[in-house]
Amino acid sequence: MSGLIGLFKSMVVEKGRKIVRERFGSTPVSFKVMFTRFRQVLDNHNRAIEIIADMGAKLGGEYIFDINYIKSAYEELHNRLSASLSDFHVLTRNKYARLDNVFNRIDREIRRLVYDETSSFNETVVFYDDITWSMVREVGGKNAHLADLKNNLGLNVPAAFAVTTHAFDEFIKHNGIKGKIAELGQGGIITETALRDIRDSVMDGTIPPALENTFGDALTGVRTKCKGNCSLAVRSSAEEEDGRYSFAGQFETVLNVPPDIKAVAGAYKRVIASLFTDKAVAYLEQSGHDIRSMKMAVGCMLMVDAAASGVMYSSDPDLKEDAVLINAAWGLGPSIVEGRTDADIYTISKAAHPETTVRKIGKKDSMVISREGGGISTVKVPAEMEMRSALTNEQTVELADQALRIEHYFRKPQDIEWAIDRGGRVFILQSRPLRTTVNSAVRPAAVLSSPEAHILMRAPGTAVQKGAGAGRTFILRHMDELGSFPKGAVLIARNDSSDFIRVMPYASAIITDIGTPASHMASLCREFRVPAIVNVGNASRILKHGQQITVDIGDEGAVTIYEGVVKDILEDANRKVSMSMEDIYEFRKKRYVLRYISPLNLIDPMLDTFSPEGCKTMHDILRFIHEKSVAELVEGTRHGLRKQAAVKLDLPIPAGIMAVDIGGGLDIGEKRDGDGKVTFEHISSVPLRAVLKGMMHPGVWHSDAVSLKAQDFLSSMMRMPDITSENYMENNIAVISREYVNLSLRFGYHFNMLDCYCSENTRNNHLYFRFTGGATDMVKRSRRIQLIAVILKEYGFNIKIKGDLIIGRLSNIRQDEMELVLDRIGRLIAYTRQLDALLHDDGRIERYAHNFLEGKYEL
Amino acid sequence: MNNNRIMVVDDEKIVGDMTKMSLEQDGYAVETFLNGEAALARLREQEFDVVVTDLKMKGIDGMEVLRTVKKLYPETKVIMITAFANLDAAIEALRGDVHDFFPKPVKIKELKASIQRALVK
Repeated sequence: MSGLIGLFKSMVVEKGRKIVRERFGSTPVSFKVMFTRFRQVLDNHNRAIEIIADMGAKLGGEYIFDINYIKSAYEELHNRLSASLSDFHVLTRNKYARLDNVFNRIDREIRRLVYDETSSFNETVVFYDDITWSMVREVGGKNAHLADLKNNLGLNVPAAFAVTTHAFDEFIKHNGIKGKIAELGQGGIITETALRDIRDSVMDGTIPPALENTFGDALTGVRTKCKGNCSLAVRSSAEEEDGRYSFAGQFETVLNVPPDIKAVAGAYKRVIASLFTDKAVAYLEQSGHDIRSMKMAVGCMLMVDAAASGVMYSSDPDLKEDAVLINAAWGLGPSIVEGRTDADIYTISKAAHPETTVRKIGKKDSMVISREGGGISTVKVPAEMEMRSALTNEQTVELADQALRIEHYFRKPQDIEWAIDRGGRVFILQSRPLRTTVNSAVRPAAVLSSPEAHILMRAPGTAVQKGAGAGRTFILRHMDELGSFPKGAVLIARNDSSDFIRVMPYASAIITDIGTPASHMASLCREFRVPAIVNVGNASRILKHGQQITVDIGDEGAVTIYEGVVKDILEDANRKVSMSMEDIYEFRKKRYVLRYISPLNLIDPMLDTFSPEGCKTMHDILRFIHEKSVAELVEGTRHGLRKQAAVKLDLPIPAGIMAVDIGGGLDIGEKRDGDGKVTFEHISSVPLRAVLKGMMHPGVWHSDAVSLKAQDFLSSMMRMPDITSENYMENNIAVISREYVNLSLRFGYHFNMLDCYCSENTRNNHLYFRFTGGATDMVKRSRRIQLIAVILKEYGFNIKIKGDLIIGRLSNIRQDEMELVLDRIGRLIAYTRQLDALLHDDGRIERYAHNFLEGKYEL
Repeated sequence: MNNNRIMVVDDEKIVGDMTKMSLEQDGYAVETFLNGEAALARLREQEFDVVVTDLKMKGIDGMEVLRTVKKLYPETKVIMITAFANLDAAIEALRGDVHDFFPKPVKIKELKASIQRALVK
């Protein structure tokens, strides 16, 4: 198999070369010009990488920054990239002119965030297949995340289209509602009367003709897809771009809508109108948003004819065990998210072969189903099905598997809505980050109860948000009593409900007799850190209305209710709720700009996606420029400038280095014309000789790949370049003269760059060494960086570390000393190639560094 | 818990928010203000142990906040934060009266250490 892959790769490479040759044409560019441009590209590239790393550090939560920092850092990055691009275009003779469009597009996105500029995007309807990363603001987080899972992860998401915020603007403008929204809250508070007025205007409004046409076309598309026999779920997609605030259950969802314009327009208006309720306004205020500037995108998705549906968490919110949690009920989703029925609960271990470790079957007495002709109704579950598991073992494992894929993809635990249709197919209906409730310290149970405090009640339940709160009890009998909920009270209710958001900012704690930890209310409590517990049995009957109590929801998932206010319990609990920077809205908003700057998506130059269009961030563009500049230099010297050809060095190690001699770096005489090999003996560049000597030092170059776990093997083959293959190394390049080397080495996912002048004149000598990247996770990569730091320090380098980038500088070194250091750096380059994969814990950093310094190179 | 009162003045909300969160974790009682006017009004009714203020603000700027603090409460320490570009000028102008200077972005650890030093009587 590897032979086949190798053959395929070599075909691709050969084809690539041919194209380069053809495009190269006959106009020769002087090598000097080429090399000067190349150096400039490199200089700007290096500075740009430093800026990106600096922004990552400064916006990482350890610094207090302001918008001026972001502006000035970004402007410098922009200038460096612009300069790099213009040199790059000269170097490549405009071969990648379209990279400018990509650069400008990303620049626009960044400026919109940094300077709060408005969008030029004006589509009103976008099908999920066409949603790209840059549309997140217009289609809303919920649509964007789902489209991402469908398009990039290949998950089964029902056919759907997004109605954008632009459509929202058009609708609001068309119906003259804009002024009313702007006036909200001008008298100090937002009144229900003003909100009702807006809701009425929305419901009485008409869809603008242009939007109606677009809607009509989209619906025709949907009807064709499902051959007329289908209906839609129409729901809001107002979720924040980074999914921090979920708006869970805040807005209307209209299920089972016939795919005709009249019905869909009506549902659309209902969803839009739900933005203007006191419940939504309370949520928005609590989460730092402003109702007057909110725009709502909407998603229209084919309904799944669900046999069962529910919610799953890709990780335990308490992080107590390494498992996926699934809640399931019969019929459509609202049964669970609105807490209407008792659900089945499954726990699936996160192991190589996941197993269902807990299976708790709930009494599912009711379910929600689609009604003929539109709408939904709640019906009784047939008696024989009530206590039957809604999921088979295979289904729980399949769901868990998908949950883990999604978690892995978004790199965060996820809260996922799913459905299984009557044919047994799994569909993903929504995914958003899961709020976890991990505590910094676990206190022993014995300490918490004050001896004097009288316990009114102690009951097991399902903790939603741990913590403690005190206040007067407010026992809710009817939903309309919520209006008279006093600030600071403890809400006690029979069932949970997302309507509780109206009082959540003022509630000291929430307790319900029944409910599920997967409901909207539960998500909201976690978001706002309101201590809450569900399923405690009969608190609403045991406690009296208006009683002063202290509620303590502990680690073991039980609630203890004390009479009166127990101060030490409150203080103890509150100390543990440590907020993080991530909880500051302004922080998240400003930090969001990094999404367009830092991530590196272009990894493997052998893939088709390694193209200007594949660049999604500034980092990608830099990577592309760097890769193609090096390639151009190699190709250029090979085909256009035969006199100064790049020659492949034939070394005992497969480092795949091409050398470009700009004067006295090689001593190869007549060999250049023949097929003769250029070996180490022909190198007369002092610094290159020294560094290669180190790389070839016996025992430091490990040719065996570090072993991967069996289950990783297939996926890594698809993903990772075969780093032992020469195809991946042939772009390693050394530009040399007698006293100079600029060596760019890429091994797999990491880069070494070394620039050294090494002459008899000590004052002119410098050594610059840079190391960045890696294939393993950030933790292991950082460990490798720390290890390199330990070693470089030992050799007297000045070092700078930012994330997974390390830069070392050394100057004013005598030639013989410099050669010695270069030799050690050569060894270090070879030694660290795959070392990150072995750095399982911090302890190994010192150990491997020590071994290296002692000259012990075995891994 | 410590009972030290810290005032933070900066016309950018994020600076106040981040400073408040960082310092509250150490038990300080923190109040934030988005302009010099509001800060001075509060200073007239409440003494603070440390005032952290931005130098450049519209209307009443950090210099005026500093002067008022020193007039009302000579013991109160003032930490000035400012955009990097203004740092040299700021250091020159305010030498002597200010407990510490920081260019933005400010490393939270360093700000905390400076506040601790300010509180050592």
